[in-house]
Amino acid sequence: MAPEVWILGFILALPVVAYAFYRVGRTVDERTVPFMALLAAGIFVAQMLNFPVGGGTTGHLVGATLAVLLLGTWGGVVVMTVILTIQCLVFGDGGITALGLNLLNMAVIAPLVTGGILYVFRGKFALPATSAAAWTSVFLGAFAAAVELGLSYSISGGEYGMAMSLAVPAMLGWHLFIGIGEAIITVGIVAFLTRVAPETLKMRIGRPQEALA
Amino acid sequence: MMGKNIKAAIVLIAVFAIGLVGFYVFSAEMGDGLERTTSDEGIVESEPIYNAPLDYGSAYGSSLVMGIIGFVAVLLSFTAFWLLAKKRGQKSG
Repeated sequence: MAPEVWILGFILALPVVAYAFYRVGRTVDERTVPFMALLAAGIFVAQMLNFPVGGGTTGHLVGATLAVLLLGTWGGVVVMTVILTIQCLVFGDGGITALGLNLLNMAVIAPLVTGGILYVFRGKFALPATSAAAWTSVFLGAFAAAVELGLSYSISGGEYGMAMSLAVPAMLGWHLFIGIGEAIITVGIVAFLTRVAPETLKMRIGRPQEALA
Repeated sequence: MMGKNIKAAIVLIAVFAIGLVGFYVFSAEMGDGLERTTSDEGIVESEPIYNAPLDYGSAYGSSLVMGIIGFVAVLLSFTAFWLLAKKRGQKSG
């Protein structure tokens, strides 16, 4: 990525992340903390399990929709930030310069898109809304990544990234299917939790019970 | 409460251990959407400016160990964040 683009990623992502940490630090019920930590750890390992989507390509769960459903939008931002930071600093996944952009795509855009969609549905059509949120969060996160690649290419005169006209259709093409995988996994987990531990789905900060009423 | 959380952690790691078998059978050799997009265009990753101490491993056993290390690292980091936020809240409040 061109330095201007990855620096922009940090500039855009960090204020939102800081606000989310502030909100969660102030509002979260202490009893939910072990649950939040377990959810974050569970999403971390789930992200390691890529699934084939055809054409010799794989995808993996992002988990932002699941985190937002269980913890609210800001809780989702915090959980995704912790996961992506550990992946980057401990396992070298994504690279440190790309961390700001990864945070922007998966810890900011994906949870905010999910929060927006769930807000629009406000508890109606629970499972269709969940699958729409999961698919859209992945698709728009991938679109953002494609735009970042395209911007890098334009700004650096072709030294970094790739042409927007190639990046956008390629990324959206693959993530069309990866988003379906995300939706299936998220809906499966939510349906399972609804049956075995419905109380976990009432933890949505700010709007309890609305997402899956 | 604590027992319930430990049970949940064991279940998550067990599910991961089983899922990892599927990963090595079906997906380990293939790249994800972003990797596929960039490799199709012949983009080579530049030399990293920071080298992380660990990687995800390239065989079932090492990936399982790394997954458990990551699981614990995320769990501890999240808890540490919470304790820090609580301490700061107590100071300011």
